[in-house]
Amino acid sequence: MLPHLDRKLIRDLRRLKGQAAAVSLVMACGLAMLIMARSLISSLDGTRAEYYQTNHFAEIFASLRRAPNHLQEQLRAIPGVATVQTDLSSPVTLDLPGLGEPAGGMVRSLPDFGEPELNRLFLRRGRWLSPGARGEVLVGEAFALANQLNPGDSLTMLLHGRRQQFRIAGIVLSPEYIFESRPGAALPDNRTYGIFWMPYKEAATAFDLYGAFNHVAITLAPGANEQPVLKELDRLLLPYGGFGAFARKDHPSHIRVSDEIRVLSILSIGFPTVFLSVAAFMTNAVLTRLLSLQREQIAILKAFGFTNRQIVVHYLKFAFVMVVAGLVLGLCGGLFLGLKLVKMYELFFRFPDLQFTFDRPAVIVALGVGLAAVTVGVFGAVRRAAKLPPAEAMRPEPPASFRPAFVERAGFAHLFTHSFRIAIRNLERRPVQALFTVIGLSLATALLILPNTFKAGIASVLDFQWDVVQRQDINVGLIEPSSARTANEIAQLPGVISLEPARNAAVRIHFNGRNRQIGLRSLIPGGIHSRAVDKEGREIMPPPDGIILSAKLADVLGAKVGDQVTVESLEGKRRTVTVTLAGLAEDFTGIAAYMDLHTINRFLGEGDVITGASITLDLAKRAEFLEALKGIPRISYAVIKESLRKSFRDTTAQSMGLLQTIYLTFAVIVSFGVIYNNARISLAERSRELATLRVVGMTQREVGAVLVIELTILALIAVPAGLVLGTGFSTVIIHAVNTETVRLPLVFTPYTYSYAVIVVVIASTISALFVLRQLNKLDLIAALKAPE
Amino acid sequence: MQPTSSPASGSYAPAATSRRQVFRVRGLTKIYGEGTAQVRALDGVDLDLYEGELVVLLGPSGSGKTTLLNQLGGLDIPTAGELAYRDSDLTHATEAQLTNYRRNSVGFIFQFYNLIPSLTARENVGLITEIARDPMPPEEALAMVNLTPRMDHFPAQLSGGEQQRVAIARAIAKRPEVLLCDEPTGALDVRTGIVVLEALERANRELGTLTILITHNAVMAEMADRVIHFSDGRVLSEHRNATRAAPSTLRW
Repeated sequence: MLPHLDRKLIRDLRRLKGQAAAVSLVMACGLAMLIMARSLISSLDGTRAEYYQTNHFAEIFASLRRAPNHLQEQLRAIPGVATVQTDLSSPVTLDLPGLGEPAGGMVRSLPDFGEPELNRLFLRRGRWLSPGARGEVLVGEAFALANQLNPGDSLTMLLHGRRQQFRIAGIVLSPEYIFESRPGAALPDNRTYGIFWMPYKEAATAFDLYGAFNHVAITLAPGANEQPVLKELDRLLLPYGGFGAFARKDHPSHIRVSDEIRVLSILSIGFPTVFLSVAAFMTNAVLTRLLSLQREQIAILKAFGFTNRQIVVHYLKFAFVMVVAGLVLGLCGGLFLGLKLVKMYELFFRFPDLQFTFDRPAVIVALGVGLAAVTVGVFGAVRRAAKLPPAEAMRPEPPASFRPAFVERAGFAHLFTHSFRIAIRNLERRPVQALFTVIGLSLATALLILPNTFKAGIASVLDFQWDVVQRQDINVGLIEPSSARTANEIAQLPGVISLEPARNAAVRIHFNGRNRQIGLRSLIPGGIHSRAVDKEGREIMPPPDGIILSAKLADVLGAKVGDQVTVESLEGKRRTVTVTLAGLAEDFTGIAAYMDLHTINRFLGEGDVITGASITLDLAKRAEFLEALKGIPRISYAVIKESLRKSFRDTTAQSMGLLQTIYLTFAVIVSFGVIYNNARISLAERSRELATLRVVGMTQREVGAVLVIELTILALIAVPAGLVLGTGFSTVIIHAVNTETVRLPLVFTPYTYSYAVIVVVIASTISALFVLRQLNKLDLIAALKAPE
Repeated sequence: MQPTSSPASGSYAPAATSRRQVFRVRGLTKIYGEGTAQVRALDGVDLDLYEGELVVLLGPSGSGKTTLLNQLGGLDIPTAGELAYRDSDLTHATEAQLTNYRRNSVGFIFQFYNLIPSLTARENVGLITEIARDPMPPEEALAMVNLTPRMDHFPAQLSGGEQQRVAIARAIAKRPEVLLCDEPTGALDVRTGIVVLEALERANRELGTLTILITHNAVMAEMADRVIHFSDGRVLSEHRNATRAAPSTLRW
């Protein structure tokens, strides 16, 4: 049989189910988020580590123009090197039936016989290349899915200007392309960019590289330091046109996954911390107030000989029920959302099997945090009650001491109605409780700011990227630097309204011993397509001897405007030049450097060449233009802004929308929870007073006014404070999310603020209506009896 | 209006009276709960109450005194029977009508005073005069209970007797037709209790308010015009006092 004290527990819980449920829900939101984020981190991290290990992902990478195969021996001899794998990596143009625009990609070579030692592929569908067979390729999964390609389909490629037909043997994944995207592109466009693998012999023949390699991957011996290896590798590859070796941590695909994990880590700390504090806080409030209502009951229990310990345990159980309910709910929610989000990550990241890993330590942390939060609440409250001698506690509490409120003492007394006086004196007499409510409401308001700031930030990045920085309709890229005449040729194509040539180059920027390998982009004076824009939104143009860097890049290098930075070309004549850092560009995707087109060409010393062009198009002639473009052999790719925008909206934006919806839903739940709870507790504490007012003839509306005025005063203080607090939270979290691949600007829109205010107002109104409804059920007769 | 003592006793319809009837109660029944847990708190009460009377309701705990008071005060709806206040039928009144009734016609005085702790004595009274139809100024009501010097004190700064006198001032300030007092001295010592009874007696005498006082202290019956004994939810007996004893002469 259940001990009687536990029956009391169950009945008390039943009576307070609304409040207990509110606490549990808020706690569940925090725990769900914690469990979801930690599990996703462990899923991504664990899956990636296992993938790297199983498929022998390299630790050092380098690209070069061309080196004879026998150089491998020298590379293997570098101290600290364990394995060396060389291959070919060359850009390719595709002719896909049904795809209006030119598509491009990268061809990678595989050993003619046997598996590569490093960066092994994972076969998703179909079969491996048959040894010795010709005309077969393996296709990366992201591209294959986007273009609905299957094993057995044929594929036409332009290799080195020659059309060739291939049959798809299999669909594969590679640890080098977990994030499969055109180098330097912030957003993936899997429809027009793919990775293809073919036997070395076939690739070498096609690209005229037989007996040579232009890409190398290396793993290190256990305990070897990567810096000297990178240095030695650069030295050895220099004569062969090396583009600069880099370690795994700078591998583009690796960075993308790491950045995602980093963002998740920040969120997994940031959001749950806020939510769990609110939950702890609510638990404390509920219990403190519950205990003060049960003052006499505690006294009676003590009078009958229950020990303080038993009483504390009794109320702790009460709290633990809420924690356990919150934990179970949070666990289910976290698992559900985690599984859903893993599906979303499958859109971005290509893993053989992105397994959802349930992060058990996170649950233990969650349980610990939840229990700690309520235990603190219970102990504080129970100790006070347990300290009272039973006889004293059994006497009804003496009327609380009041005095005129500050505003009345200040001489405004005559302005107030009695309801208003009751409200403000109550608030002033219990400033700590009022403060707690204000904090709870502020947190609820603040939570509502956060998800919308993310949303506004992303929207602003996209608008900025597409409407301010890159205003062309189409970007065209050439396979290799070509004469400026090519630009004229393209400009003659049907539908071209304006064309601006572009010269991009791979460079390494040095400053004060730090360096970053990036794409140098050209700007032309008076250009209207690609522009660099500063923090204030003004267009900036590098002077002839100057360079503009992404603000984030300057930050990473530690350079300030006016500093001299060194630019090392990684192609052609490999010149080095020192230029003045002339300005900082506010860009949000990746890091870049900008120089004047003519300055770049002078610096590289390859004459007047271009690597691509940006085009404004008469959209009515788009199809005609693209068809004609396919006839120009040196074209590597064409990126249509609208397709990119559309594909972004269809995939990425939707997924990010899902994430925001989750955060927003949680924030709304918390706001409701806090406000509802507060109103409920006020009602419970004041029921006797309010019932008396009803008995002496005040209407429900008049009595309700007392509570509503109180809630309104608190909200008037809390909401503005919450807006400030939310701005602070968002600033901290968005700054923390600031990575080299993606940054978000801090955008606070009137929408963001009014959204928060409106949700809080609605939550308050609904809570107030609920409380008013409860007022109707107030037991008037009970008010006449002795206080219980 | 001076109290008159009627020689008639044993009958609850004093035919000789010229006073107007305030309450007419017939077969009033109140049942709480259902089935085996059913409690007949009132079991067919017949009663007539008149203007200006001071009626003491005596009876042991659980006899139904408070339940009757709750029905008279419009706090509860009877299960069966008739309950008329003047010309209005309280048994079928709506919630809004009952609120209005309490607001304008009834003054309540409770054992535990039930003052609003955040309002001063004057404001506690003012709270009611603000909403009443024809109130006296709060100061006047407080003067009637001799609390003028302590008008601006908060309940926590007043003694139990003083708090109860504020409650009386609050109840009479609206010039109610009926004053309902449930054990008003129950929580007070004799000396303070007598001060409170004096305030009640004075209000009854000077304002002519029908005053119904619940107690299980038989001594208080001496200050009444009429004493009604309650038991098991029924009127057991009733008698009239020839003269009302002054509260100051009471001792218990």
